[in-house]
Amino acid sequence: MPSVSSREPIATETVVVAPPAPRKRPAAKWVKLALIVVGAALILSFPTIAPNPYILSAGVVILNYAVLSTGWNFMGGFTGYISLGHAAFFGLGAYGTALLIKYLALPGFVAWIIAAVLVALIAIPIGFAALRVRGASFVIVSIAFVLIMLLVFQSWREVTGGSEGLVVPRPFPGMLRPEHHRVFFYLFVLLLAVSLVVWWIIDRSKFGTALKSIREDEDKAQSLGVPTDRYKLIAYMLSALFVALGGGLYALWFGDLDPIFQFSILIGSYMVLMALLGGVRNLFGPLLGAVVVGVALEYFKLEFGDTQFHLIATGILLGIVVLFMPDGIIPAVKSLLTRSSNEASIREVTAGELLEQNDKRTADASTQERSS
Amino acid sequence: MNAPTAQSTTTLESLSTVSMTKSFGGVTAVDGATVTFREGKVNGLIGPNGSGKTTFFNCVTGMIKPDSGEVRYRGRSITRKSPDRVARAGIGRSFQLCRVFPRMTVMENLLVAVRNTSIRQQLRSAHDPDELERARGWLRRVGIDHLEHAEARNLSYGQQKLLELAGVLMGDPDTIMLDEPAGGVNPALIGRIATLVRELNEEGKTFIIVEHNMEMVMSLCDHVVVFDRGRQIAEGAPEIIQQDPRVLEAYLGV
Repeated sequence: MPSVSSREPIATETVVVAPPAPRKRPAAKWVKLALIVVGAALILSFPTIAPNPYILSAGVVILNYAVLSTGWNFMGGFTGYISLGHAAFFGLGAYGTALLIKYLALPGFVAWIIAAVLVALIAIPIGFAALRVRGASFVIVSIAFVLIMLLVFQSWREVTGGSEGLVVPRPFPGMLRPEHHRVFFYLFVLLLAVSLVVWWIIDRSKFGTALKSIREDEDKAQSLGVPTDRYKLIAYMLSALFVALGGGLYALWFGDLDPIFQFSILIGSYMVLMALLGGVRNLFGPLLGAVVVGVALEYFKLEFGDTQFHLIATGILLGIVVLFMPDGIIPAVKSLLTRSSNEASIREVTAGELLEQNDKRTADASTQERSS
Repeated sequence: MNAPTAQSTTTLESLSTVSMTKSFGGVTAVDGATVTFREGKVNGLIGPNGSGKTTFFNCVTGMIKPDSGEVRYRGRSITRKSPDRVARAGIGRSFQLCRVFPRMTVMENLLVAVRNTSIRQQLRSAHDPDELERARGWLRRVGIDHLEHAEARNLSYGQQKLLELAGVLMGDPDTIMLDEPAGGVNPALIGRIATLVRELNEEGKTFIIVEHNMEMVMSLCDHVVVFDRGRQIAEGAPEIIQQDPRVLEAYLGV
């Protein structure tokens, strides 16, 4: 026998004995559907329920986070490449939209789409370079990327306005503020819906399975024929596209850009935190995370004003998630609900039993052969 | 060498390398290896520890780029091709320390293999009924169909080895390279794996097997290549290899 660890005693073998197949519970499907309908109804009726424009604008901010986090999850969730620098795409989408309006006099929403497509194209060379490294190295490279962008947009005053900021021409000039919030709230809902649908399509496709295999073991995936380099790049581009769309829509809504906010590590970290909190393997994980973190952030900012307490609270939240719900809220709740019913039974089987199984199999096979 | 029999003259060239070399720093792991494996046969690749077998495997499958030399498969050069292109050319492989996707179910593990990268194919549902049926067929074949819904990380090491083999087979390779299929599994399971290899070989699959378990190599392989210090020192039928003085010297240092 070759030199192999002692984990495999010759006499016995730990064998997973047929775990219960996930029970097909039609009820679970209906519960899921009901939750989605209720969630959608709540979101769509929010502008009507919101007591004042301030709360409504907080809702817009949270939806923006949900779009960014879902966009981030195209890369982070599927492939496991954790980018802390996705704020770069948020900033580029925002500035791209603003600059196209300002210098080419394009209509706001045309500029928005073109800017996002351009950002997705910029993501190709960036991804080509950054995706050569994995794990912690990739995280560092992604941070470097957003810091470089910050420097460029701060220093290139003639074009970007530098730290003075950049005013984005309004797409609906005559509109009053509450109405403006309302319109943008629904625009963000639309963008979120599109990104969720695209994520869902990929999740259930062969392409999605390939991306998830990259997350699990990239070399192994490649040895099974998955063109890992190309697929990672496609996921990175899609991720950049949706985050840039989120940034561009933010620019049109907020109307004022400042490099220190657009290219902040903090925004990038929020995307990661929200996705992790909700659950990166779940369609609605980033959305749920965005609602929880977004509400908490707005609350802390409101209650504690200019202090940095919201940052401390965010840090504590991240700690709690990593410690107690490493897979996020959705899987944690799911397993809590099904804990009693779905555990695989593991027991020791002796070599004798295994041989018996073998003999039975051989016998079965030969009878099958004879009968065919 | 004994005279070529009628059968061996008809065997085609499967996978071959010409003066392939790979060094890591000052250590030359593969040193001008010129090797030819036989199509339709169970080929064995043996050699003492550190003789460069696994590096050779990795160079052939594109996981490592060789410094020089050539790799050919069925008459075409696949030198320096990326591992996924080598896989799609029809060469499947397992890993020395068995590798599966731990947090995917057994079924999902099988659905990873990519044969067609066209956009239309890739956007189809992963749970295509035909694919599921094909996957279940392979799971039955290796004997773990009852574990379809289990997460791969909950399987025993032996079961993971069978899962890895089924996953490779899903890619429908013509040639299957196994790196120590008997490593770390109990004798009963070794028997099951050997039987599978023999059956699949009869169905037309070519095998290239790196293995330390001599009993398995000698009983299973039609053709054996012996490696020492990064190159081939002998090749031939197992009975002949066992008598070869160069092989005995390499193994026993006589």
